[in-house]
Amino acid sequence: MDFSLLLGIGRFVLATTLLLLLTVPTAFIIIYLELKMIALMQLRIGPNRVGPAGIFQSAIHGFKVLGKEDVTPDQADRPTFTLAPWMVFMAAAMSMLVIPFAPGLVAFDSEISVVYFFAIIGLSVVGLLVAGWASYNKYSLLGGLRSAAQMVSYEIPLTLSIVGVVILTGSLSFTHIIEWQRIHGWAVIWQLVGFPVFYIASTAEINRTPFDLVEADSEIVAGFATEYSGMRFGFFFFAEYVSLFIMSGILVTLFFGGWLAPWPFPAQLSGFAGSLYGLFWFILKTYIFVLISIWARATLPRIRVDQLMGMAWKALLPIALVNLLVTAAVVVIFKL
Amino acid sequence: MSIPGSGLLNGFATTWRNLFAPKVTRQYPEVRPTIPDRWRGRLDLIYDPFGEHKCEVCFQCAQVCPVEAIDMSGFDTQGNRIRYGMPEIYDERVDPNAYRRAGLAARPMRNPARWDDEVDAAFVRKLVEGYDARPEALVAIFGAVQARYGYLPERALRLISDLMTIHWAQVFGAAGLGGFRLLPSEGHLITVCSCAACRFSGGDALLAALREDLGVAPGESTADRGFTLETRPDVGAGAISPAIRIDTLVYGPLTPDEARHLVHQRREAAGSRAMAAGSPS
Repeated sequence: MDFSLLLGIGRFVLATTLLLLLTVPTAFIIIYLELKMIALMQLRIGPNRVGPAGIFQSAIHGFKVLGKEDVTPDQADRPTFTLAPWMVFMAAAMSMLVIPFAPGLVAFDSEISVVYFFAIIGLSVVGLLVAGWASYNKYSLLGGLRSAAQMVSYEIPLTLSIVGVVILTGSLSFTHIIEWQRIHGWAVIWQLVGFPVFYIASTAEINRTPFDLVEADSEIVAGFATEYSGMRFGFFFFAEYVSLFIMSGILVTLFFGGWLAPWPFPAQLSGFAGSLYGLFWFILKTYIFVLISIWARATLPRIRVDQLMGMAWKALLPIALVNLLVTAAVVVIFKL
Repeated sequence: MSIPGSGLLNGFATTWRNLFAPKVTRQYPEVRPTIPDRWRGRLDLIYDPFGEHKCEVCFQCAQVCPVEAIDMSGFDTQGNRIRYGMPEIYDERVDPNAYRRAGLAARPMRNPARWDDEVDAAFVRKLVEGYDARPEALVAIFGAVQARYGYLPERALRLISDLMTIHWAQVFGAAGLGGFRLLPSEGHLITVCSCAACRFSGGDALLAALREDLGVAPGESTADRGFTLETRPDVGAGAISPAIRIDTLVYGPLTPDEARHLVHQRREAAGSRAMAAGSPS
């Protein structure tokens, strides 16, 4: 057997395992940050019992979920009901494969990683819709249909807004996009319109406040997750926070130079040290956007469903199209 | 005119400021507020959702007062005169004062208080000893006393308090539980449900109609001893509210006219019985 093929398989297995393991602390950290930061913004103290300043609170939540009874409704469609959380979680975990954490620290450095990423992250809507359908509960179904309408609508401006970056950099590879930004500066400077469109659309795509109509507790109990309990519910919960991390990471990669430091990347740092340095900047920038999202959650009320759809089709889509046109024209005229 | 989006930014600024603002949470078990030694909690006499005074003259406040500064008299919800403190003071006090203390408009009592009715002391003593004077048996003892007398005479309650060495205020408070009467009922017992469901669906109108028809207030009996009117929150007929109970039968939902009709039926039946009894002579 070809040794390089074996090496490739081994590398792939190792990378996927590591990424799957990475989702757990990532979700725990973000959930803790959310609990603590929202509490502070509401003049409360927040978690403070488990560990210093309550840092193990979210981990305890995770273990609590593991210990809970896993109930399946009597009328539920059992196979799909069981499969749905897995689909949602795997959509999030699989899209982590192409995230460029640092130079050389990419599980799957493909030429078309942008396409792969947006194809895989779009799969989660299937999981949510299946969960809503299989639960045999009207709130779940409403939540599932809302998620389908919302995520399908917002995928269009989301994808169109990054085409500007792709045209500028001339590549569908995240690594190339970052390398382009090393020379030309962060893409957000070139895409002052594309970035806000992407940010709003990505917030809607991962069902974060103020676009969390999918699981609007005050209207439809918990949406698609109404009938879920135990670790199956935990998977949805995990997927939500892992998606937040992933979307922030992709945002940083596409518009804020990914692993690049705000100042020129020191050339003498290469190999392992360079990877660590890049990882530091990537994680730092990503968590800044995670914190901004939490800040928004503490501030903004949920918008109505008609406002949500109107924004996607009447505002974001035209803006993204005009942005695309202008970017293409500039690239052609100035031969960038 | 405000700039579009300024509201959003304002909100973000508010949450950002709050992030660093001092927190209001008091971490209770570890951090305790400093309380003055003589603090006994906040006394709050307020009104219920129907605008009636919550004070039922239960004496609980008098009981917990550390310097025994509270003595009171008044009327309970059944219209019975009750008192706490030194009797020689209260015997001198006139009723309007007691009404005022109970938060009620002054009115004369129809029922002369039966608080001085004699009770069979040996019976009560045997009853208490049967339960080894255990405090948790208080309700069972009340039940046995009510089974014999049809209500809980004050003398019996005093005796139970002495025998069981339970504070009078506590005995009286327990007797205020649903299911116990502090006065004998005479004639037909008409209970107007005063639960929230019945009151919201027109129970007050029923009570007003019956008060007018019978000419008595809740807790009182008519002059001919044919009817006793009372309100209780435990008729337990929320599905057919507003409901009333006459003796053991529950009626509802009723309009004031239907309630009057039910009373008239019984009045006529009583009249024809009286005539039948009187005709041979």
